[in-house]
Amino acid sequence: MQIELKNVVPVPLKDKFAQRTSDIWNAHINFNQGERIKIKAPSGTGKTTLVHILYKLREDYEGEVLLDGKGLRQTSSEQLAINRQQQVSIIFQDLRLFPNLTARENIELKRVLQKPFYESGVIDAMAEQLGVTHILNQRAALCSYGEQQRLAIIRALVQPFSWLIMDEPFSHLDQANIGKAVALIDTECEKRNAGFILTDLDDDTHFTYNRQLAL
Amino acid sequence: MLNILLKKLIKAGAGRIRFVMAVVGLSVSLLLIFSSVQLEADYDDMLNSKNNKDSVANFLVINKEVTGGQASTTLTDAEIADLKSQPFVEQTGTLTPGRFKVSAQGASNSIPFSTDFFFESVADDFIDVQSTNWKWDANSTYIPMIVPNMFLTMYNFGFAPSQGLPQLSAELVKSLPVQISITSAGETANYFGKVVGFSDRISSVLVPQPFMTWANAKFGTNQNAKPSRLIIKTKDPGDPVLTAYLKSHGLTTDADKTRFSKLRKTVDVVVGVSWVTGAVMLLFALLIFTLFIQLTIASAKDEISLLITLGAAPKQLHRFLMGQFFPSNIIIIGVTLALVAGLQFLLQQVLHNQNIYLSPLISMFTILAGIIMLLVLWVVNFTTIKKYVAGQR
Repeated sequence: MQIELKNVVPVPLKDKFAQRTSDIWNAHINFNQGERIKIKAPSGTGKTTLVHILYKLREDYEGEVLLDGKGLRQTSSEQLAINRQQQVSIIFQDLRLFPNLTARENIELKRVLQKPFYESGVIDAMAEQLGVTHILNQRAALCSYGEQQRLAIIRALVQPFSWLIMDEPFSHLDQANIGKAVALIDTECEKRNAGFILTDLDDDTHFTYNRQLAL
Repeated sequence: MLNILLKKLIKAGAGRIRFVMAVVGLSVSLLLIFSSVQLEADYDDMLNSKNNKDSVANFLVINKEVTGGQASTTLTDAEIADLKSQPFVEQTGTLTPGRFKVSAQGASNSIPFSTDFFFESVADDFIDVQSTNWKWDANSTYIPMIVPNMFLTMYNFGFAPSQGLPQLSAELVKSLPVQISITSAGETANYFGKVVGFSDRISSVLVPQPFMTWANAKFGTNQNAKPSRLIIKTKDPGDPVLTAYLKSHGLTTDADKTRFSKLRKTVDVVVGVSWVTGAVMLLFALLIFTLFIQLTIASAKDEISLLITLGAAPKQLHRFLMGQFFPSNIIIIGVTLALVAGLQFLLQQVLHNQNIYLSPLISMFTILAGIIMLLVLWVVNFTTIKKYVAGQR
């Protein structure tokens, strides 16, 4: 799936970006299938806003976002659900787990929301890899941020996708755990021949990026 | 698996009291509606089914009320035409009076009797006696007659015991020849007559129409005599409109046969009241049910919103929520229909003892009403769910 941004600028940031240029805002830019893109930006320049625009959680922007040439604004709610189930997976900065479901149920829900991409056993394998096996049967509300972040990563990886959108996905993890998560994400994207868009505050060398953009 | 997880997230537990209220309200209102449909169907069935043709009078003999003061009790052509045009009249027949004097006497000496009487005739369609002997032409050796059943009863249980005469069975009376004398203009002609049947419907001595036509032409003294009695066939002798019509036109009939009029009024009132009450209650019950759905969705607002964010399709949520709310409606309809079926069976048992025959099963219309209610409930459920799920996005 190709993502195309045509002169997109969020309404709240419009004045700010009238003064200066950006790699993304007010620009015409294409993200091609399978590309690995890093977006680096300081706080307050709209990283999360961009992620939410791409995921159609907000529409207070000017310009146009096209998925495979089709306008995102015009996407129906049913088609949007299909996109989210099949094409675009996401790791939110604020994690967004169901507090009253157990860790396993949170992941399982995403696995069975569409025709399962993986057997349920894969959840255990991934949890093992990220070191969260011991909390799988614990309510998500009782997990630490570090644990919740790893659960959110696993949840994003049990579904089919051609784009993985990650909004500061390692903010609560130490270097050792970041390494494990990076390895898992790398493998899963390879498997699907999928690309990703990763936003962060600083430069990093977690992945080999095709492009690094600044907001 | 998805449903188990959704069930954990969207608990229908909120507003349980509201749910119980909605269920009770829905059940009572549906019970009232189904009962009124069933009662209406039963009444219709009672009037139209073959079994009840005899138990419910469909034929009424109508004449003017004799008050003592009026000039004549004959019916004018205009009066007959007006009656014919009434919606409750299916068919009318005239009771043709004989315009000559008739007397009868026993043809054998075993049962000696002699009496003056009269003949009337009516089209065969209106006669409730089936007999192969009910025909007459110029070559017939006897005149067939149908007499009221009441005559035989009066004779057997009133007259015979008091006079020391033997009681007669219907078969015996049918086998006895009677000598009939017709007197006209001073001349007397003798014939044999035979009773071929007993009627419960028409209180008159009936002879076949062809005989009456022939005899009136031969012996009749007043060629333009107007009929004074009519017989009408009606779908519903209990129709209050009919009773009112007769009353306003000074006409009368066997009160016994119009007794259904009172029953009819009662049925109408009961059906009407239960119909309206049921409909009003249904509205409120639906409102409560809608509120219950709304409350459940509102209390799971965050969960539904996150589910949609994660990619749950609105259709998936609709299907799940329908699965939560709609089955209770199916059960309610099933239970209320079963209750009405039970009541119908009881009613059938009770009325059977009174010789009123009803179907022991509930009518097709009641089942149809059930299906319609199911559709209505489905639409209400679905639109409410759709509306409020869309509102959570």
